[in-house]
Amino acid sequence: MKTANININSNVKKKNKFVKYIKKNYILLLLLLPGFLSLLLFKIGPLFGMVIAFQDFSAFKGVFGSDFVGLKYFQRILSDPYMLTLIKNTLILAGLTLAITFPIPIIFALFLNEIRLKKVKNFVQSLSFLPYFISASVMVSIMYMILSPTSGIINELIKALGGDSVAFMSEAGWFRPIYIILQIWQTLGYNMVIYMAAITGIDSTLYEAASVDGANRWQTMFKVTLPCISSSVIVMFIISIGNIFTVDLDRLLLMYNSSVYETADVIQTYVYRIAFASTGMPEYSYGTAVNLIKSVIAFALVIFANKMAKKYSDTRVF
Amino acid sequence: MKKDKKINNKIGKVKPFDVINTIILLLVAIICVYPFLYIFFLSISDGKYLVTNQVKVFPMGVNFEAFKYIFTNKSLNIGRGMFNSAIYTVAGTITSIFITFSTAYVLTRKRFKGRFLIMSLFAFTWVFEAGIIPNYIILNALGFVDNPLVMIIPNAINTQFLILTKVFLEGLPDELEEAARIDGANDWVTMIKIFVPLSKTIIATIGLFYAVFIWNQYLVPQIYLKSAQYQTIQQILKQLVISSGSANTSFSTFVKNGISLNPQNLRAAAIFVAMVPIVCVYPFVQKYFKKGILVGSVKG
Repeated sequence: MKTANININSNVKKKNKFVKYIKKNYILLLLLLPGFLSLLLFKIGPLFGMVIAFQDFSAFKGVFGSDFVGLKYFQRILSDPYMLTLIKNTLILAGLTLAITFPIPIIFALFLNEIRLKKVKNFVQSLSFLPYFISASVMVSIMYMILSPTSGIINELIKALGGDSVAFMSEAGWFRPIYIILQIWQTLGYNMVIYMAAITGIDSTLYEAASVDGANRWQTMFKVTLPCISSSVIVMFIISIGNIFTVDLDRLLLMYNSSVYETADVIQTYVYRIAFASTGMPEYSYGTAVNLIKSVIAFALVIFANKMAKKYSDTRVF
Repeated sequence: MKKDKKINNKIGKVKPFDVINTIILLLVAIICVYPFLYIFFLSISDGKYLVTNQVKVFPMGVNFEAFKYIFTNKSLNIGRGMFNSAIYTVAGTITSIFITFSTAYVLTRKRFKGRFLIMSLFAFTWVFEAGIIPNYIILNALGFVDNPLVMIIPNAINTQFLILTKVFLEGLPDELEEAARIDGANDWVTMIKIFVPLSKTIIATIGLFYAVFIWNQYLVPQIYLKSAQYQTIQQILKQLVISSGSANTSFSTFVKNGISLNPQNLRAAAIFVAMVPIVCVYPFVQKYFKKGILVGSVKG
């Protein structure tokens, strides 16, 4: 009898405590409500929506009414010869982009640091940083204008030099170079600012010591500045590896047309195409299955990269 | 003279290296913005100089007929696209600031027990992407297809900006809240009267980020907003400049008020108006950006 009483009492107490907590903090909880709903509906909801990868999803039946088909769509991935092209295109585009765009801002930051007129330094940073904030549609539209076979300034130059005009935007071979040029144009200034921030943090006594030892410009740049920012460089590199599956989908879709599929079709564009731009029935389930595999790999990469990055720096990630 | 001497003392001798280095970096900076200027020059030049490709580094026959034309010709939808984008951006930014700030505020209150769990869920859903199709299925079920609210509500919290705000709020002392409580203020009053005024910097920062982000969006409106009446300027631009390609379906050459207008300067004018708002807020964005860049660079 006694123990039961205590149990009831403690339950009542617990309940009271909870009610009290709610009563005391209801305004705080109300403040959280929009954020909580947003988390539940728009961030966690889609994760459950991924279940359609295991269904024969039909828009009429909905997620709850569609039949489960197990791994049917994953088996289809394995037997789909086009998957190889997609994976190849994805890896080539990501790999080339990383290899080419990664070192450029480091080099420019090193040289920018050598400029001692503060005004010039700020001027260069301000101008090169602007494209980062311009939309993909504007950037790709400008490319279309500049590279137009009939009136573009580049083709005029080619013709003036005696060449034939090139239809850059509809040639599969030009897709990757143009994508990468746009990437450099958009991110050079941004990444330069990151490296400049790291360079500003270098202890100035190191430079004094170097000049006492009679080091010249190049020696200071490559033996003092570069080693001092190497941990930032490593962290940035690891992060880039972690994000290798993050492509600029806006830019890809804007540059995308059937004449460049051969090189432009990557996993994300393919998923978009079969779900939202196909003329037949949209293939939601297959697209989700393809994307699910990509997401799992990308997730593992990001987690691994963050672990590695923590080793090289004290920056807290979350 | 005095000033010169001072500079010389500070930087030592000016060597050829300095001159070449400065020139190269200035060139790089100019190359970065030249395409924007080129588009601007095309848009204000007389079409007759464009046909012969004379406009390269400065405009010729300066006029604003192309802008007048693209805004008065309703069938191009540029006016409507700009209006829609502006509405989405303003409404979306206000909504986002409010939801992001209040969420970050609650998640930094030590007496709120579930804060680690909720933050972890935000972080997890940020790194593990469900992808565009599951998002579409959910948003479709919630009635967001062909609904302009899709530009305002589903992306109201960007996890990156939430973390940025949270880190900022963590830096403010807890005593502020205690003092307000003793004075009898509730949570809402404390947040609005005490914390918001102290957080002007972070609110301006995330506000600008959200505004640029919403204005620039292409994928979301392209998937969800199919009706012409809801389309954004980015979608209109794609139709006018990219999709039409060399087949000049929407633009043709004609003479208006003695000025020749052709597809080239009309397209250039359309591109230019789509980027003007960004260029206008750029000085502010740049000012606030450096503060957030290190947190922001962690993932994408």
